[in-house]
Amino acid sequence: MSQVATPAKKRVELLFAAFLFLIGVLVLVDASQIHVTYSQADPVGPKTVPYLVAGLLMASAIALGVTVLRGNLAEGDEGEDVDLGQPTDWKTLLPLVGVFVLNIVLINWAGWVISGTLLFFGSVLALGGRRYVLTFLISLLLAVGSFYGFYLGLGIKLPAGILQGVL
Amino acid sequence: MDTLNLLMEGFASALTPINLLFAFLGVLLGTAVGVLPGIGPAMAIALLLPATYGMQTDAALIMFAGIYYGGMYGGSTTSILLNTPGESATVITAIEGHKMAKAGRAAQALATAAIGSFIAGTIGTALLVAFAPIVADFAVSMGAPSYMAIMLLALITVTAVLGSSKIRGFASLGLGLAIGLVGMDPVSGQNRLVFGFAPLADGLDIVVVAVAIFAIGEALWIAAHLRRTPVKTIPVGTPWMGRQDWKRSWKPWLRGTAYGFPFGALPAGGAEVPTFLSYVTEKKLSKHPEEFGHGAIEGVAGPEAANNASAAGTLTPMLTLGLPTNATAAVMLAFLVQKGIQPGPFLFDNEPDLLWTMIASLFIGNALLLLINLPLAPMWAKLLKIPRPYLYSGILFFATLGAFAVNLQATDLVLLLVIGALGFAMRRFGLPVLPLILGVIIGPRAEKQLRQTLQLSSGEVSGLFGEPLAVAIYVIIALVLLFPLILKLVRRLRGGSAPALVAPATGPLDGPGTLDAAAESDTAQEQDPDRAAHTVPQPAPQDEHRRKDQP
Amino acid sequence: MSIVVGYIPSPAGEAALDRAVLEARRAGCTLVVVNSSRGDAPVDDRLIDARQFNELEARLAGEDIDFWIERFPQGGDAAAEVLRVAEARRAELIVIGLRKRSAVGKFLMGSTAQRIILQATCPVLSLKAPDHL
Repeated sequence: MSQVATPAKKRVELLFAAFLFLIGVLVLVDASQIHVTYSQADPVGPKTVPYLVAGLLMASAIALGVTVLRGNLAEGDEGEDVDLGQPTDWKTLLPLVGVFVLNIVLINWAGWVISGTLLFFGSVLALGGRRYVLTFLISLLLAVGSFYGFYLGLGIKLPAGILQGVL
Repeated sequence: MDTLNLLMEGFASALTPINLLFAFLGVLLGTAVGVLPGIGPAMAIALLLPATYGMQTDAALIMFAGIYYGGMYGGSTTSILLNTPGESATVITAIEGHKMAKAGRAAQALATAAIGSFIAGTIGTALLVAFAPIVADFAVSMGAPSYMAIMLLALITVTAVLGSSKIRGFASLGLGLAIGLVGMDPVSGQNRLVFGFAPLADGLDIVVVAVAIFAIGEALWIAAHLRRTPVKTIPVGTPWMGRQDWKRSWKPWLRGTAYGFPFGALPAGGAEVPTFLSYVTEKKLSKHPEEFGHGAIEGVAGPEAANNASAAGTLTPMLTLGLPTNATAAVMLAFLVQKGIQPGPFLFDNEPDLLWTMIASLFIGNALLLLINLPLAPMWAKLLKIPRPYLYSGILFFATLGAFAVNLQATDLVLLLVIGALGFAMRRFGLPVLPLILGVIIGPRAEKQLRQTLQLSSGEVSGLFGEPLAVAIYVIIALVLLFPLILKLVRRLRGGSAPALVAPATGPLDGPGTLDAAAESDTAQEQDPDRAAHTVPQPAPQDEHRRKDQP
Repeated sequence: MSIVVGYIPSPAGEAALDRAVLEARRAGCTLVVVNSSRGDAPVDDRLIDARQFNELEARLAGEDIDFWIERFPQGGDAAAEVLRVAEARRAELIVIGLRKRSAVGKFLMGSTAQRIILQATCPVLSLKAPDHL
């Protein structure tokens, strides 16, 4: 992130503040559309708290925008395996999200065994793993193992999909 | 003696083979996630939430308690061997611990950390036994207005005191409260924030939110900034200590415990401040002050004890008031909510068996941890050889599996991705995660409490202040919120010389900000006092010489 | 011309290094030591750290040969790095250490040694650790 110029960083953070504000507006509009009749048992009603939350969100969004303009920029969350010296690695991130979405699309039709295998296998590749055969076998083992583990151990039947009858 | 009887009953149920097995599983998992980079106890418990559907509540809670304590042990192992503290609580341990390891005293550093953690954990849990019933009795006597005030206090202290930026904290709290609003309002039956989208009408499943924020958001964030250089571990034999080490360790252990427990029990006390205070105290009291900065055993013994004692302290408000003050406690509370147990002042009254079994299992887990950590430390260090792609793919895989298994709905996975993306953005823009998760858990309960309180007072706002205790708590909230302003004013009046005088008194509020001043010899941390919370020291450069010119 | 040795701190790696030093002295050419890690695990003991680097350097300096140490903390796989360096340095010989591996292990992980032997354009000398001899 340190390589990115400050004005660009500011713009992104202002965008995030705007996003927060928008959520606040969303909560506000949604609350205003609740039709409610006054009841003795519930003098507060379902609208009050959403209004407060909307206010909190919008106020903190505005305050965030002001501090960002004043130059108080965010620091990313640090961690053991996090190297903030590098900019966001979209080449890793986007394929990861892609694999995740693929899993959502496939999970009911193809079943968890297939979509889960692809999920793990694809994630490892996206993160830079290169031992294809080993990775594929581990993926398959995890997916099949969790399928039967959940079925036998917890009684939860994950979708078998097109492998219905085989598994 | 009633307490002792209850505790004995707790032991009886915690010592059944099945519960013992889960305690063992918990401490194993806990140590493993403590050692592994990128996974902490909060994420581990979140990932396991779905698997606990079919489990007995007490067995699952025992396992989670083991993970909670185990994470502390595992974290100190990596701090000492790799200088990569996984949590802010073990930052201080790394200062002296890693120096000791480099000087060939890794075995002693690990031993003093493990034994100190055991002693502090045991004393801390004993203090929990002593205090929890008292606090619980007191909590039951509180009326709705006071309880409402205490929930607000928890939300606001965690938001305003912890973390580096209050504004970002409140933004995070707002997001959490908004997530908590989604679904049908239980009082009026009205849909809120549902947008005509049927799956939202039941509200966002707390499991899905916890997994998304703690696992998906974190894994994506790490993947986007993955460190790609391996570190070298320091070879280590079985931990042991000589007579001299024992002599130098036992007092720091006890002093660290004395710091840790009360700070852990305070809302927003956390583990950073007591570990830091313990470090400074030991440095001052040591007969070998010259060793500090070069691997002084007191500097490992004290903070490690403080760290574990604060973990026990944190359980006091969680179990007696239903107020979690760290992420792991928050996820455990989410588990109780999911099991249909209302956390709150009546928890001790309603579920005495469950709680005493859990507390007894804390003693057992602590002893198990000593057993598996002392002789097996070298084995745990081997976990670090797992290639990162497998580690983070595993997190994504099990997060997906778990969130899907809750309702077997693909839409849950969409929500998982969306909230996970939010978790990613929060880490990117410096929003702390804890206020959000607290907002999700406490928000709906606070709303219910608010409506109940005002119903009793027939809509009069003054009903909120109907009890002296409630008023006192609102005063504390006001002080917490106004404190920075007062501080600024004082500084201005004293003409800028004040900070040095004020700083010691403001320990808990300035938090790790003051930490840097004293850790002067080490760790190139941020020096900006406002923003230095939760920074992790970079591993010492080990690659100075990469290449040599041809001679 | 040069001699390239794939080095990891293990008995087989040491054996390969010892032999490579002999060969380099006999041929009177530069010895290139290659040490690499994929950098994908938080900890990798095959990568030499600063202390081991200095020890290695001191040791080779006492051997009266020209040498050069290549260390890749974020390399590709070891075989690719060794082959690449051998190509770039126009190696006349590659020296590698072998470790024992079961047939299944070889199928799963592939074999660094096998790839080097099959793909190298120069002779490859492979050694086992002394206790396997």
